[in-house]
Amino acid sequence: MASTRDIRRRIKSVKNTRQITKAMELVAASKMKKAQQAALAGRPYAQLMASMLAALAPHVEESMHPFLAKREVKVRGILLVTTDKGLCGPLNANLFKLVADVKTPAKFAAIGRKGAQFLARTKRDLMADFQVHDRVPFPEVKVAIEFMVKQYLEGVIDTVEVIYARFKNTLVQEPSVRPILPLTSVAEFIAHASTEAGATAKPDAREMLFEPSAQQVLESLLPFYVNRTIYQHVLSGKASEHSARMVAMKTAKDNASKLLGDLTLEYNKARQAGITQEILEIAAAQYASS
Amino acid sequence: MALTLEIVTPEARVYSDTIDTVVIPTVEGEIGILPGHIPLLTQVESGELRVTKGGAVHHLAVGKGFAEVQGDKVSVLAESAIEEEKIDESAVEKAMERAEEALRGKESLDPAEIERLEGVVRFAVAQLGVKRRRR
Repeated sequence: MASTRDIRRRIKSVKNTRQITKAMELVAASKMKKAQQAALAGRPYAQLMASMLAALAPHVEESMHPFLAKREVKVRGILLVTTDKGLCGPLNANLFKLVADVKTPAKFAAIGRKGAQFLARTKRDLMADFQVHDRVPFPEVKVAIEFMVKQYLEGVIDTVEVIYARFKNTLVQEPSVRPILPLTSVAEFIAHASTEAGATAKPDAREMLFEPSAQQVLESLLPFYVNRTIYQHVLSGKASEHSARMVAMKTAKDNASKLLGDLTLEYNKARQAGITQEILEIAAAQYASS
Repeated sequence: MALTLEIVTPEARVYSDTIDTVVIPTVEGEIGILPGHIPLLTQVESGELRVTKGGAVHHLAVGKGFAEVQGDKVSVLAESAIEEEKIDESAVEKAMERAEEALRGKESLDPAEIERLEGVVRFAVAQLGVKRRRR
């Protein structure tokens, strides 16, 4: 049996750990609220825009805009959205699993330090990494988006995809791969998702009217769509991060509490054993001397 | 036959209802949409959006964005949108002043920020326009 002093030391360290994880839980909880709100508020907007594009797809020609052109996919371009810090449970590891599933040639860009580290460690082709702060200011995300789009237009990469943790609720975050460019893949993806959801799309077969002109509308809508969608994914990733961290910290705190209970019991037992031992010794000594 | 109108901004779904007709401000001027309109995709300019439902007319201020008509569904994606009753004139004026103030130091700002601020001012003008229309 460990000595009482050892156990006391152990209790002290566990208590410290509990205190820290508790503080981190509270911090994560308050950040989580804001991040979740931001992610959820933007969702209908992103969805509506996606369905707008899906409806649009049959009415436009590939030649109208470089974003629409379908090309042979030689190198995929993937933007990996991870966290900067650790201690958020299996969140990043799940995303890395998705990355590991990418077998075809691909080039990566990363938002978040963890992702950049992982890509560098596994010797994947990391083109650039970007830092985005907790409040997810749009200009910071925009830098990353512009980079990806530039690579796409120059032909360095043939697709733009985002791997991120889709925020479902506080307990569930889905690691997901979302195609962004070319838009034909988006239309397929949306069609697939909506048929899976059991929604019946009723396409309007009549010819679509563009005002002022198709060229002009597409030129402003498509880049806007790309910006907005990727930004939404990053927001979602942040919400997932804080949720995952809060849950992880709560588990750690609960574990520490449980451990503390066990240790205290052991400590008391050891102490009691010591006292009993002493009494026995005193009694024995008295008996011997009398 | 009725239309369903949906107005969504990055912050919230502002309006979602079945309506009779809607007039949308676009870059080419206002367009009225009735049931059975042919599919349309257009750019929305900040301004006043009028919704007619059961004889009553609602007014909303909208910011820049896009509008799409598909079948009997009208979707408006706007940077911002607000119903007439919710417009707070003094708050709008203050927001406008702040944005204009920031725009004065134009050289130091990056283009995206300028665009955003100009969007704020335009939306403010649209809100005031809707609010003061009857006076």
